[in-house]
Amino acid sequence: MDTHALELLAVFVGSTLRLATPMLFAASGELVSERAGVLNLSVEGMMLLGAFAGAMGSLYSGSPLVGVLAAVLAVIPLALLQAFLSNTLRANQIVSGIGLNLVVLGATTVLYRQWLGSRSRVQIPGIDRWAPPGLSDIPVFGAVFVQSALLYVGLAVLVIAAWVLRATAVGLAVHAAGAEPRALDQSGGSVQRVRYGAVLFCGVMSALGGAFISLGDIHTFTENMTAGTGYLALVAVIFGNWRMGRTVFACLFFGAATALQFQLPAMGLNVPNALLIMLPYLMALLAVGGVMGRQTPPAYLTLAYRR
Amino acid sequence: MSAIASRRALPRIDRGVWLPLLAVVTALAIGALLVAATGVALPDAAAAFADGAWGSGYAIGASINRALAIGLVGLGFIVAQRANLTNVGGEGQIALGGIAATAMSLYGGASHLAGPLAFVMPMLAATLAGAAWGAIAGAMKVRFGTNEVISTLLLSFIGIWVLYGCVQSEALLRQPMTTSATLPESLEIPEATHLPRLWGEADVPLHVGLPLALLLCAVVAVVINRTVFGTMLRAVGANPDAARRAGMPIGGCIVLAMAIAGAFGGLAGALMLQGEQWTLKARFSSGYGFDGLVVGLLARGSVKGVIASALLFGFLRSGGINMELVANVPSAIVVVIQGLIIVTLAAAALWIERGAVR
Repeated sequence: MDTHALELLAVFVGSTLRLATPMLFAASGELVSERAGVLNLSVEGMMLLGAFAGAMGSLYSGSPLVGVLAAVLAVIPLALLQAFLSNTLRANQIVSGIGLNLVVLGATTVLYRQWLGSRSRVQIPGIDRWAPPGLSDIPVFGAVFVQSALLYVGLAVLVIAAWVLRATAVGLAVHAAGAEPRALDQSGGSVQRVRYGAVLFCGVMSALGGAFISLGDIHTFTENMTAGTGYLALVAVIFGNWRMGRTVFACLFFGAATALQFQLPAMGLNVPNALLIMLPYLMALLAVGGVMGRQTPPAYLTLAYRR
Repeated sequence: MSAIASRRALPRIDRGVWLPLLAVVTALAIGALLVAATGVALPDAAAAFADGAWGSGYAIGASINRALAIGLVGLGFIVAQRANLTNVGGEGQIALGGIAATAMSLYGGASHLAGPLAFVMPMLAATLAGAAWGAIAGAMKVRFGTNEVISTLLLSFIGIWVLYGCVQSEALLRQPMTTSATLPESLEIPEATHLPRLWGEADVPLHVGLPLALLLCAVVAVVINRTVFGTMLRAVGANPDAARRAGMPIGGCIVLAMAIAGAFGGLAGALMLQGEQWTLKARFSSGYGFDGLVVGLLARGSVKGVIASALLFGFLRSGGINMELVANVPSAIVVVIQGLIIVTLAAAALWIERGAVR
C-alpha cells in the first residue's frame, strides 16, 4: 500500500474510534442497566442532556472540566427519575423512556434557544486532545491515538466496569437482579437498590458520552445533537448479546459504519448512505433473529420486581 | 391517609378517566409556564395555539387528520396488545406504508384504474406492506423467540432508513433530477390517487380516511371483544401453554396479531401520503408512529381510549405548530408537554390499573 492509502486508513481508524466512543460510554452503561433488568430507553435523552449541560457548563465557566461535571450532575436527577419510574412505580420502561426522551429533547431545544439564541455558532471551550506517551510518535498511525482526553478516561471506566461485572460481588448482584431477582432478594440482596444503582451508572456513562460529543468532538451544541446515538448504543447492547466484549465490538463496528459514510464519498466510492446508516440496525435484527447464535437477554429485562 | 381520603372524596369516578385528564391539564400548565419563561405573552401564545388547533375549519380538519394517522397506529397497537404483544414499530410501518402507497400511485398504474380503485389500490398496497413489516416481528417471535419489543424497535429504524434511501435514489422513488437543487423527494402522486375530500372543494381537508378510520374503530371493538379470534388472542396472551393445549394455533395468532398491528401502521402511512402530503419525503412521518404507540398505551385496550387520546395528540401537534409560526414560541414546548403527559401516565399506570380492578 502506498502512503496515501495508509494515511486514509489512519484517518478512518481515528474517526471510527472517535465516533464509537460516545456509543461505548452509553452502551457500557446501558449494558449494566439491562443486565440488572431495566431496559433504559432514556439513554438517548440522558446523552442529549449530558451534551447540553456539558456545553453550557463549559461555556459559562470557561472550563471543559466543569462542563463534564455539569453533564454528570444534570443527568443524575434524570437517571434517578427513570429508576424511580421503572422500579418503584413499576411504569412501563419503554413508555417512560420515550416520554423522558421527549421531555429532554423539547427542554434542551427551548433552553438552548433561550440561552444562546443568536450566539448559536459560538465555539465552546472543549477538552484538549491527548495521546498516551510514545503512541503518537508511531509513523502514520500515531495520529489515531491523538484523541480527546475524555476518550481515555472513558476507556478506563469501561475496563473497570467490565471487571466489576465479571469478577465481583457487585457484578454478580447486577446479573442476579436481571436474571433471577427473587433469588437475589431471598439471599438478602436488594433488587431495588441494585437496579437504582445500575440505572444511575447508566446515567453517568451516558452523560459522559453526551459530553464527549459536545465537548470532546464538536465543541458546540446543536438541537438534538445526539441524533439517535443513544438508540444505537442500545442496539449495540442487543447486538452484543448483553455481553461486554461483543458490545464493545458492536460499538466499534457501528462507529466504522458511521465513519464510512463520510469516507467513502471522499474516496470516490458511491455506496448509498441509507444502507450504511441502516447497517447497525440490520445487523442487530439479524443477531436477535438468531443468525449469530442464540440470544440470551436477561430473563427479567423490562420486568419490574415486586416482592 | 390521603389516598383513603381522596378515594372517599371521589366515589365512583374511574381513575382511568380523571387521572389522564389531570395529567394533561398539569402538563399544559407546565407548558404555559415554559411559554411565559420564553418571554412570549401567554394570551398571544394561547390564541395562536387555539387558532392552529381548532380556530378554523381548515385547522380542525388538519388536527383530525393528524389524529387519524396516530389513532390508526394506536388501534393496531391494542389489537396486538390483546395477545400480550407490544408493537413499538409504528414509525417503520408508517414508512413502509408511505413507500408502498407512493410506488403504487406513481409507478403501479393505480391512477389509470377506474373510479375509487385509483386511491384504494395504493391504500391496500400500503396496508399489505405495513402488515408484512409487522409480520416479520411476529414470525421472529414464533420462530426464534425474539422479543417483539426489540425487533419492532429495530424494524422501525430500518424502515425509516429504507424510506430515506428510497427518496434519495432516482432508481427508486426520487423525482428525476433536473437541477442540482432537485429535492430528495418523490414526484407528487397523481390527482386520481388523492383521497377524495368529504366536502368537495370546501376548505376543510377532511377526507374519506375519517369514515374509514371510524369504521375500523367499530370493527376492532367488535373483533377484540366479541369474536372467537379476539378470545383466542386473549388466551394466547394470557397463557400460551394453556392455549396450546386447547389446540389454538399460537404461532398463527402471534404472526397475525403483529401483521394486523403493522397493517394499521401501513394504512396510517397511506392516509398521510394520499390525504395531505402527496409527495414522499424522508421525514414524512416525524414521530406519528411513536405518538401512536403512546396513544395505544394510554387507551389501555379500549377503542374509545384510542379515539380520545389520538384526538388529544392530533390537536396538540397542530396547535404547537401554529404557536411556533405565529407567536414565535418554540414548538419544542409541545414536545415537552407531550413528554410530560407520557411520563405522568406511565408513572400512574399501575395505580390506574388498581382502581380499575376495584
